Amino acid sequence: MKYMIMLYASQRDYDQMAGKPSDQPEWKPEAVAEMHEFMGRWNQELIDSGEFVDAQGLAAPVHTRRIHGLDGGVPVVTDGPYPETQEVLAGYTIVECPSFDRATEIAARITTAPSPGESSSPRYVEVRPIDGGSDDFTG
Amino acid sequence: MTSQDVEGLLHRLAPRALGTVVRRFGNFDTAEDAVQEALIAAAEQWPRDGVPDNPLAWLITVGSRRLTDLLRREQARRRREDTVASWRLSDDWCSPPADRPADADDTLILLLLCCHPALSPASQIALTLRAVGGLTTAEIARAFLVPEATMTRRISRAKQTIGNSGVPFRMPPRSEQAQRLAVVLRVLYLIFNEGYASTSGPHLYRADLSAEAIRLTRLLHQMLPDDGETTGLLALMLLTDARRPARTGPDGTLIPMDEQDRTRWNAGYITEGVSLISAALPCGTTGPYQLQAAIAAVHDEAPSADATDWPQIMALYEVLMQTSDNPVVALNHAVAVAMVRGPHTGLGLVEQLATDGRIGQDHRLFAVRAHLLEMTGDHAAARQAYHAAAQRTTSQPQQRYLYTQAARLPDPR
Repeated sequence: MKYMIMLYASQRDYDQMAGKPSDQPEWKPEAVAEMHEFMGRWNQELIDSGEFVDAQGLAAPVHTRRIHGLDGGVPVVTDGPYPETQEVLAGYTIVECPSFDRATEIAARITTAPSPGESSSPRYVEVRPIDGGSDDFTG
Repeated sequence: MTSQDVEGLLHRLAPRALGTVVRRFGNFDTAEDAVQEALIAAAEQWPRDGVPDNPLAWLITVGSRRLTDLLRREQARRRREDTVASWRLSDDWCSPPADRPADADDTLILLLLCCHPALSPASQIALTLRAVGGLTTAEIARAFLVPEATMTRRISRAKQTIGNSGVPFRMPPRSEQAQRLAVVLRVLYLIFNEGYASTSGPHLYRADLSAEAIRLTRLLHQMLPDDGETTGLLALMLLTDARRPARTGPDGTLIPMDEQDRTRWNAGYITEGVSLISAALPCGTTGPYQLQAAIAAVHDEAPSADATDWPQIMALYEVLMQTSDNPVVALNHAVAVAMVRGPHTGLGLVEQLATDGRIGQDHRLFAVRAHLLEMTGDHAAARQAYHAAAQRTTSQPQQRYLYTQAARLPDPR
């Protein structure tokens, strides 16, 4: 069974990690490096155990385009429609493992990723089973 | 021999073994699978039992035997499907003619085949790495951060496309060769960039891709020593990769060239790259790879950033701009002009480019503008431009770099 592990962050979290000056404490380069190393190890363990399927990180929410249908054949687009602090999908990892509990165990480890500020720590992640019924046909 | 030595040997022998098997039996698609299985068997057995006296012959024998099995099985399946009428053995079953060319030509034909214009760039890259580079599908998948199943499908589709196209295993007609070689060079360049330019993903594997691109380009250069663009591309890769050790700080932050510790540059690569490009430039027409290599050589030969020969770089960019209408080249040219004639002249060129839809909103244009504004002493405007650039890039290391640049400047408030 495949599961999608979803991570969330706000524009403010992205800005802090990018070192954008603000009233929030910014991430030091060492902290960013430490976090990347943690995530890299987490990912590598999944590759080694054969449970890794796919993972992608998304660009900052400010680069989002929301498309509200078509107007005379032209897409109606809103740029970066999220407030600073609204948490949106920041990245996902798809794993393939025997049980929901195992997927939960994998996901739980990511909540221990190091982070300097309180606000930046991933306080939660979500896991959802993937409805993989069509898998047999695309293989 | 350690398993690492064996791996190196196998990567060198892979295209020659495959070339021979395909030449003898045809069926590129199945032959590629058969040789890949022979390579995997060798990778397991040789470190344990020792390398056979003639490793190439071993691979060809085992690969051919495996191919025969696979073809028989396929034939049996087809017979069951009652399509035997449409099935016949390849004409190439007969023994090869006495005047058959050497193995090196097989490798070149393989490269041209893998970079067949009917394939997408992603497929060309994957197939080249597997059939010519001798990498396993798992290794290629890991390097491109995609699931192995996806890469398996990509490679088998690519092989089917080549099989269906019915191209014979021989050099394309002379009239097509230059065009086909250009595709090979672009594929090798893309493999190199994938390893060099990326700042995400497991760094180790990405660096391996650059090393693999250099190895394959070196191989191509050995086969075509007189092709100026092949030489130019090899020189460009070496001269660029030479700076890798100084490019990022210990915490992964990007270090721009003018702040890099030049003692950490790879002197061996620089010497080799400079001698390659110096030999190629005076011969024949000068293409874009040679020009980019020449620019990289000028940078690499400068003992310090201040000692860079900017007038020469500016002149080389002007020649490069004549070969293609590329706004990124024009932007780099603007930087060189600023270094030679002053930031105001450079900024004038940047403002002209700002109206070009292809690059006008690109973070690179804003970063150059910020840098040149900083040179003029207009720190408030420079800060603003650095911030604008940071907001336009989606790469976090670049964002961090740009915000840090802005933060160095005195706060106007």
